[in-house]
Amino acid sequence: MEFLLESILNLIGFVVGIIIGIFAYIGYNNTGSPVLFRLSLAFFAIGIGFGIIWMGYMIDSIYFEEGEINRGIQALGLGIQAIGYFFIAFSHTIKSFFPKSRYFRSVGILPLFFLSTMTIEHIIRSFSFILLVYGAIETFVSFLEGKQKGTLAVGIGLALLAFGEFIAWYSFVFPESILYSISIIIKIIGLIFLFVPVSKLPMRKIKLDDEFEDEFKDDFENHA
Amino acid sequence: MGLYRTQIVIVTDILDVVQEDTFDKDGASVTSLIRKANISHGRLSKILKNLVSQGLLEQVNSDRASKYKISVTGREFLHAYRTFSEFTDGFGLTI
Repeated sequence: MEFLLESILNLIGFVVGIIIGIFAYIGYNNTGSPVLFRLSLAFFAIGIGFGIIWMGYMIDSIYFEEGEINRGIQALGLGIQAIGYFFIAFSHTIKSFFPKSRYFRSVGILPLFFLSTMTIEHIIRSFSFILLVYGAIETFVSFLEGKQKGTLAVGIGLALLAFGEFIAWYSFVFPESILYSISIIIKIIGLIFLFVPVSKLPMRKIKLDDEFEDEFKDDFENHA
Repeated sequence: MGLYRTQIVIVTDILDVVQEDTFDKDGASVTSLIRKANISHGRLSKILKNLVSQGLLEQVNSDRASKYKISVTGREFLHAYRTFSEFTDGFGLTI
């Protein structure tokens, strides 16, 4: 059951990530906006990360038939996804990541001690969780300012992905429970929410003069 | 305190004004652009020259002064900007 759910989740993640990434890249190509460039990097990374894990499951089901993915492939996929989550968080300005208060700084170090004995996969999941929570909070703040339904959908999507990641991490404590399956279902719903605002937009490329695009890319680099 | 406008926001503000005036007044004058797009004459001249050379605007000479009309490419650019602006808004970001 978990195997099937994981395959579905990762396939959906791959498709959603790549589609949003392509759309963001078309936007970058047309407007030269660095925000769109970061979003395209983020979603390509998320899509590729999910895709690698999906491939890992497929390879196992076709060749090895052990019923579980190679841990190295899993860690690689999760690592690339975490890079994608980092770029989403980075787009909301990375400054807020480092609290100025001395108290918060000291508290911020604590998770490192808890994580030190765990595997790479758990560490990556923890990073993804933090980045997703950060992205979700910033998106909710933007929703409160702009009151746009699309922003709310993305905020809910990121929050569900974070919650799913948290439950997946927590399920290591209770490995035989239903927690992991629940986490996968929550993440699938999160990905669907993430796709809602994009699905309403036209997916056609609008071609502009190359010289014009180059000039505005230069301008953006100077102003960004 | 006013908001900081990036180059692309200034350009779309100019294109918006020109588009509006293309339909209402058969083209936008420099004075109208300075006032409505809130931009200095020096900076506007450079951007207008650039936009005309890139085919986003068309310069038309009337009896008294030059006027600017939006081209098909200019309209397409505005459409693209709005679409992708909506996309980034969805992520709580500004283009």
